[in-house]
Amino acid sequence: MSEPRIHGIVLGGVGGQGVLSLAQIVLEALRRSGLHALQSEIHGMSQRGGSVHAQVCFSEVPLSSPIIDEGCADLLIALEPLEALRYVAMLRMNGHLVVSEEPQVNMEGYPPLDDVYAALKKVRGCHLVDTEDLARKLNHRQAGGMALLGMASKFLPVSDAVWHDVITERFSAKGARVTEKNIEAFNAGRGLVQEAVGV
Amino acid sequence: MALGTLALGVEAVGCAAFDAGIKGAFGYPGTPSTEGFEFVEAMIHAEPEGRVAQWAANEKVAYDLALGVSYAGHRTLVTMKHVGLNVAMDAYANSALTGVRGGLVLLVADDPGMHSSQNEQDSRRLAKFAWLPVLEPATVQECYDFTWRAFELSEALQVPVMVRLVTRLAHCRAHLVRREVMQPTGLGLAPKETIQDWVLIPSNARRRYVDLLAKQPRMVEALAPMNRLVAGIGRVGVAVAGMGRAYFEQLALEHPELKAMPRLEVAAYPMDPGLEPAFLAQVDEVFVFEEDYPVLEERLTFQRAGRIHGRLDGSLPRTGELTPRLLKEALGLRTADGKSASALDLPIRAPRFCDGCGHVDAYEAMQEALQNLGVPGARVFGDIGCYTLAAQEPMGAIHAVVEMGASISMAVGAAMAGQTPSVAVIGDSTFGHSGLPALLTAADSGVNVTIMILDNRVVGMTGQQPSQALDQVERMVLGMGIPASQVQVLTPLPRQHEANVKAMEAALQHPGPSVVVFRRECIQSIRRGVLKEHDQELKACAEQACCSTEARP
Repeated sequence: MSEPRIHGIVLGGVGGQGVLSLAQIVLEALRRSGLHALQSEIHGMSQRGGSVHAQVCFSEVPLSSPIIDEGCADLLIALEPLEALRYVAMLRMNGHLVVSEEPQVNMEGYPPLDDVYAALKKVRGCHLVDTEDLARKLNHRQAGGMALLGMASKFLPVSDAVWHDVITERFSAKGARVTEKNIEAFNAGRGLVQEAVGV
Repeated sequence: MALGTLALGVEAVGCAAFDAGIKGAFGYPGTPSTEGFEFVEAMIHAEPEGRVAQWAANEKVAYDLALGVSYAGHRTLVTMKHVGLNVAMDAYANSALTGVRGGLVLLVADDPGMHSSQNEQDSRRLAKFAWLPVLEPATVQECYDFTWRAFELSEALQVPVMVRLVTRLAHCRAHLVRREVMQPTGLGLAPKETIQDWVLIPSNARRRYVDLLAKQPRMVEALAPMNRLVAGIGRVGVAVAGMGRAYFEQLALEHPELKAMPRLEVAAYPMDPGLEPAFLAQVDEVFVFEEDYPVLEERLTFQRAGRIHGRLDGSLPRTGELTPRLLKEALGLRTADGKSASALDLPIRAPRFCDGCGHVDAYEAMQEALQNLGVPGARVFGDIGCYTLAAQEPMGAIHAVVEMGASISMAVGAAMAGQTPSVAVIGDSTFGHSGLPALLTAADSGVNVTIMILDNRVVGMTGQQPSQALDQVERMVLGMGIPASQVQVLTPLPRQHEANVKAMEAALQHPGPSVVVFRRECIQSIRRGVLKEHDQELKACAEQACCSTEARP
């Protein structure tokens, strides 16, 4: 009998970018896919532009620890490139990173952007997404998060139908138009990785 | 909750309190406890049926409100963070002696690792200090189930019962299974013959203290099913509680050999004094995994010195949060080889003032005024809220932050010791929390102190909850005895900078106590429209010249 596999996702970004909200969508999508899932988040500074991260663990068996150990995460979803670098050591050797290229420079000493990209490109399994360009093409300023989630969905055991349901419910209060735009961004992100994996 | 039945650990406590039929919920915001109250508040607002949810001016007030509900025969929940219990400690410790009528459950969220707190004190110690039961869940579902149990225990034992969470559990989100909702049904007033039990004059208090101690064996007996000894193979055991229990359980999923270890699982205190000797008889060596202080570890070490591994013998760090990694290392398990950390130097991205925050303008006026008066290095006493961010460089505008409301008294004390100028900076909600009595003393002392009240009209830091001092700050200041000539109300905006600097200079130069209120609504609150309705009502009232206009000074 082999031990149950426990999977981990780390989500990182800057306060105000919607890291926690994205984590909740992932958590609910996993739960609806029949998996046992837990999410851990740290509040308090989330609106004040500091580093924010959340973790989601899931498995086929009930879990009790919401924390992922270093070197054990399968996937990192980062809404900001410098923030992504903070969590690289959280990932397994064969783990994947889905990272927005768009920097949030709200601090002293932000390293040269080329150095940040170079450091990320050195990490195996890193998928950089030009969320700024995508947002422009989709005419949707906040498309980035959903697009990253779409790309990340390629690595998660959740069906398209479940993703769409969860996203729809999440944005339903904001109207059909907002929901539609977010589904569109999700699908665009999902399309990107087909290209990447296809090569 | 937009998404199904997912809830945070603290929310599960709030949800259980509603389901268990509370009549009233009270609290003061503080991370990581805030969402517990907000959750039950939302449930009560959706379905009031005579229930109330009320943020209080501070934790002691919240606790006393709950005590009143209990005294009236109803179930009640009161929520706070660990340091909030210090504020409510007088009420908590003495309510152990009075006892309760309707079930009273106290949710306390500890913050080991100090994610957003000034210390990492362990509330289990305060429960022991007050001779009261404390339950320690390890999962979100247990947060819910234990809260139900806490109400039952509280009524059976007639004492307040604490449910103690830590940050990781408080902010762990998971699926929750609810029970059938109970409607609030009162027990009525206590019988007449027990009327003296609630009057803690010494003659009654002596008797009630004896009663409280006599209840201890009953508490142990009632809690016994929550703690258990699991026999195992070998002479190396583990004692686990709270998140230590959660982490160990999960580790045992991946390392089945751990499942065979003899275990002591603790979820409630006071525990059976026979449990530890029985456990120690089965093992020669013990690893203790518990969150925060070495409470269980000390008890085991007291029973038998040597080969008890935990925070005291250095097997785990003495301070900070417990993590699965620390368990692995202590147990000598292999840790995973993951990707290498980036070689790039990663500067810290610290939280900072929001763009356009009025606090920044207030601080800039203060710093320039101090500069103009030739005291640019003046030491300033700060307080707890968003404005504490000013302690960070490059602003470096405040130089002491201790606990809620301390700024005013510290500045008065320093002024008495001869420090000039002596400046305190406090937010409107912290002022209402515990700055008021300090201001009364400041006014009475007559010393040269300048008190800046940064009034952003909400409890900004914890998520823009309503401030109880809303629209009342000047009246409160005048009421405490500060003369009207020494109370200024300014608008912290860049275009007001020159005028604000001049006003600050005048206040600093005044030889007695002076108060400068910097009022501009929190920009997060404006963005969310938190006070929109309130301000519209206020405006309508002013136009009709009715009651509320009198409320404005």
